[in-house]
Amino acid sequence: MAEKINPKIKTFDQKEWVKTNLSYKKDSGSWAWILHRISGVALIAYLFLHIWSISPLVQGKAAFEQKMATYSSTLFSFVEWFLFAFVLFHALNGVRIIIVDWADGAKYHKQLYLYTWVIGILLFLAMGLIMFSHIF
Amino acid sequence: MFKYKSSKDTGAKSWIYQRISGIALVVFAIGHYILMHFQPEAGKTYEAVFARMQFSWYRIIDLTFVTLALYHGLNGIWGIFRDYDLKSGTKITIISALLIFGLAFLFWAYYIVFSIPYGKPMP
Repeated sequence: MAEKINPKIKTFDQKEWVKTNLSYKKDSGSWAWILHRISGVALIAYLFLHIWSISPLVQGKAAFEQKMATYSSTLFSFVEWFLFAFVLFHALNGVRIIIVDWADGAKYHKQLYLYTWVIGILLFLAMGLIMFSHIF
Repeated sequence: MFKYKSSKDTGAKSWIYQRISGIALVVFAIGHYILMHFQPEAGKTYEAVFARMQFSWYRIIDLTFVTLALYHGLNGIWGIFRDYDLKSGTKITIISALLIFGLAFLFWAYYIVFSIPYGKPMP
């Protein structure tokens, strides 16, 4: 049975999903959703890299230390620091999502989103202090 | 227009597992960051890794961490694809690719942990 489609209702065209997504009005929740996805994909990609990067443990001390030496540059520490930003956002926003699901958070999800950023930025700066105090 | 399409899976299990693994991962990640970044010398050297791996309970924690992280990550990727109305052939291809990739990396991680010997370190 073919369904009648009202021509006045704009249907979602999958071929234009980027355009369609960009056209939506974005409030805090939409940004949380977008950033949660981006950070999630980045983190799983990093996890694969991480398993690969510690794999010289199989060959013993010399091989492992040679590999680790390439990761001890200041530039790499900056990359690690920003990786922590992704971890922080994903973890804190994940907690926000759980509160929305289980603790009536839908009534105060915008405040929670604000706390996500406030707590996130504070912990990000604290981690910078900890990480770079070992280097400089 | 967006009517429910023939699937017995409502996604409820996937939803609850994603939340449980998510909470566990936050706890593991806090421990991981404290261990690795408060004192890099005590966390990242071969000697430090070797010393930790002498405790079987630490190996269990490590392997639980990586298993949950891979599950959570790949289930999340699948969650993104599930937002779109894919053909069943495409779905099977994506799920197979995620499973093969995930299991390969999971076994690699297990292999790395179990390759570290008890007793005497490798040179």
